[in-house]
Amino acid sequence: MRKVHFLTLAALLALVVSGAGAAFARQTTSLVLMGWSSSPEENNALNRQVEAFMEAYPDIEVEVNLVPDYDTTIQAAFASGDPPDVFYVDSSKLPDWAEAGVLDVGTEKIEDPDGFYQSLVEVFTYNGEFYCPPKDFSTMTLQYNKDMFDAAGLDYPTADWTWDDLRAAAEALTGTNDQGQTVLGLVTPPNFERWLPFLYQAGGSVLNEDWTEVTLDSDEAREALEFYVGLVRDGFAGPPSAVDAGWGGEAFGEGRVAMAMEGNWVITFLLNGYPDLNWGVTELPAHPSGGEATMAFTVCYGVAADSDNQDAAWTLANYLTSEEGARMVAEEGFGVMPPRVALADAWLAARGEEFKPFIDVAEVAHKWQFPVGFGDVIDTFNAGLQLAFEGQALPEDVIFETAAAAEEVLSR
Amino acid sequence: MATAAPAVRRQVTTMSAKRRQEALAGLSFMVPALIIFLIFLIIPIGAAVYISFTDWNGISPVFEEGAYNYIGTANYSDLLRGYHVDGDRVVAASIRQRDFFIALKNTFYYVIGVVPVQTTLALLLAVIVNQRWLKAKGFFRTAFYFPSITSSVVISLIFMFMFTRGGLVNQALASVVPGYGSGNYVNWLDDPRGVLHLIFGQFGLTRESAGAWAGQRVLGLTGWEWISGPSVTLLTIMMLNIWTTIGTMMVIFLAALQDIPGHVYEAAEIDGANAFQIFRRITVPLLRPTIFFVVTLGLIGTFQVFDQVYVISSGGPAKTTLTVAYMVYQNGFDRSAMGLASATAIVLFVIIFVFTILQRVVVRERAAV
Repeated sequence: MRKVHFLTLAALLALVVSGAGAAFARQTTSLVLMGWSSSPEENNALNRQVEAFMEAYPDIEVEVNLVPDYDTTIQAAFASGDPPDVFYVDSSKLPDWAEAGVLDVGTEKIEDPDGFYQSLVEVFTYNGEFYCPPKDFSTMTLQYNKDMFDAAGLDYPTADWTWDDLRAAAEALTGTNDQGQTVLGLVTPPNFERWLPFLYQAGGSVLNEDWTEVTLDSDEAREALEFYVGLVRDGFAGPPSAVDAGWGGEAFGEGRVAMAMEGNWVITFLLNGYPDLNWGVTELPAHPSGGEATMAFTVCYGVAADSDNQDAAWTLANYLTSEEGARMVAEEGFGVMPPRVALADAWLAARGEEFKPFIDVAEVAHKWQFPVGFGDVIDTFNAGLQLAFEGQALPEDVIFETAAAAEEVLSR
Repeated sequence: MATAAPAVRRQVTTMSAKRRQEALAGLSFMVPALIIFLIFLIIPIGAAVYISFTDWNGISPVFEEGAYNYIGTANYSDLLRGYHVDGDRVVAASIRQRDFFIALKNTFYYVIGVVPVQTTLALLLAVIVNQRWLKAKGFFRTAFYFPSITSSVVISLIFMFMFTRGGLVNQALASVVPGYGSGNYVNWLDDPRGVLHLIFGQFGLTRESAGAWAGQRVLGLTGWEWISGPSVTLLTIMMLNIWTTIGTMMVIFLAALQDIPGHVYEAAEIDGANAFQIFRRITVPLLRPTIFFVVTLGLIGTFQVFDQVYVISSGGPAKTTLTVAYMVYQNGFDRSAMGLASATAIVLFVIIFVFTILQRVVVRERAAV
């Protein structure tokens, strides 16, 4: 018995020593890359990127860890002081994480920053420092159901459309379908980010440039919200739940609305889920005075301030967002668009020319990012907007209350 | 007598030595459980109390220098003051205070609605499946218990399918209720209107006709807001919770029912008591400790309602499903305010504690009568 024990022990020891020896000989650095999973196709593309990286840098080993409930998971990892080396950073989370000091500053370390869309560089610049290289981005555009427009004898929406055209078309397209269900002209989710383009188109803003003053309480804001709420109160538009859908893309795919305002995520959703749907894309309508605007949603690769292998981590982040690295994703033609201007053509070639409006509007896209603690303001607005849709609150009161909430958050 | 005494004493000493040994053995058996209890319960509770007095954002590494500052009871006053005084000016409640009282209001309606209904229905079901004449008892017991062992997230998702505007529930109602059709479907999952407000509206009582008290602010909310009742969406979540928890409570009642000796019933029957009298005078009094247990479980469970809200509504529409437990999560993970989240959790603990004690006192007094 004892002999057997001794033998096992010796074998184990030998294994451990040889293993350690091998690791010592290769001198590899191990990195953990944490993110969330959007689709199997995108995960595969990321894995291919990472494999190509490990071939190019044999001394760095990368473990990809895509987790559900990402925000909670990574916050716990930050708080414990043992975060992943490289991880996704949503634009809306950047201020919180930069303030908390968990992000390494990339100003000196990000390669070829001029090749990115400058609007994206601005999104990930906080207090004058460029924190992380953008991974990809999405913009909001107008999707329209061609069959419904044909049936109503209307011309398809164009980039020259104004609010008035949108309203007139929404009115004409509202009705009932074969099954007697309500069909609305436009789906208007009760969310701050869906309304913001209208605010920006009207020339309004939420905060001033350096986030020190609230500028929301303005005639432009009231005009924009009255227009948005007016569509609903007059019955030409409604939230997704009014047409039995969970979100705008579903309402559009099911044919319960003629137009939707979604971002790039809607592309693969509609192509895979509703292959027979006959639909097109154009820019959001402009304010009658000509003001154009939309929203951009984007994610970057952050490097942890607490990472033990920061140099290797930056090598990885830079590789994934370089022209060579990002091209691998761009050529797959997913919904989301590559962060570098030079790759726009590769994406269009893979995805199709008809999706060009998503790229065209990048110039007028505003960032989806507010100061720390702004969730309280967004919730105040969304709650007010829902009541306004029901006719239980006035747009001007919603604007007033939201502005007051913003004042309070800024003064915290 | 005199000769027996030493023998007894000797026996006592051996007993105590044995007992010490037993105690040691017992303790060593308990150690693993105690360690787990300490690490996963006592230390986190202590940490939550400590963090509730800091401004920790929940992101900065907690053991690093400067991750948080001690700010005294500021988090608590951030939550609890219905107003605050700025110089000689009374300033209306801040967002956090309003949110807290909204959450408190929603949670109270939730508890008041769910606990009595689930206790009564569970008792009723237990009595039914305990009947001797019932056939296929095993089937019914399993069927009623089944929701309780299914993941609440899965059940919430299925409820979402059933309760969407064009879903099964509305279609079923439309085929039964005259005049109910796709034009006036209830939007179960996205309707912020308060149920009591709707009922008052039927009697002509609205915000405008209610008089001055409706505009009076008490603890951050107007009188009219306080009497809203649960919103339609919260009501849906309440029904979901009642349905899923009844099973567990039924099993507890069933166990207690089978503990009641049959001769008590026989005696009552011989004395000429009818079924209702037996239930009222024999079953319920003998079940009193069980009722206390079930109501306590119900109180704690409902005050902590989180997962259904997280899956179905995220606190919306218009904050009408924002519960205190969900607010803890929201402050900790959406708002980067873990200190405030911890304070909210401590306040929730105090509320549950007070209600459990209150309920204990009430049940005891009724037992004494």
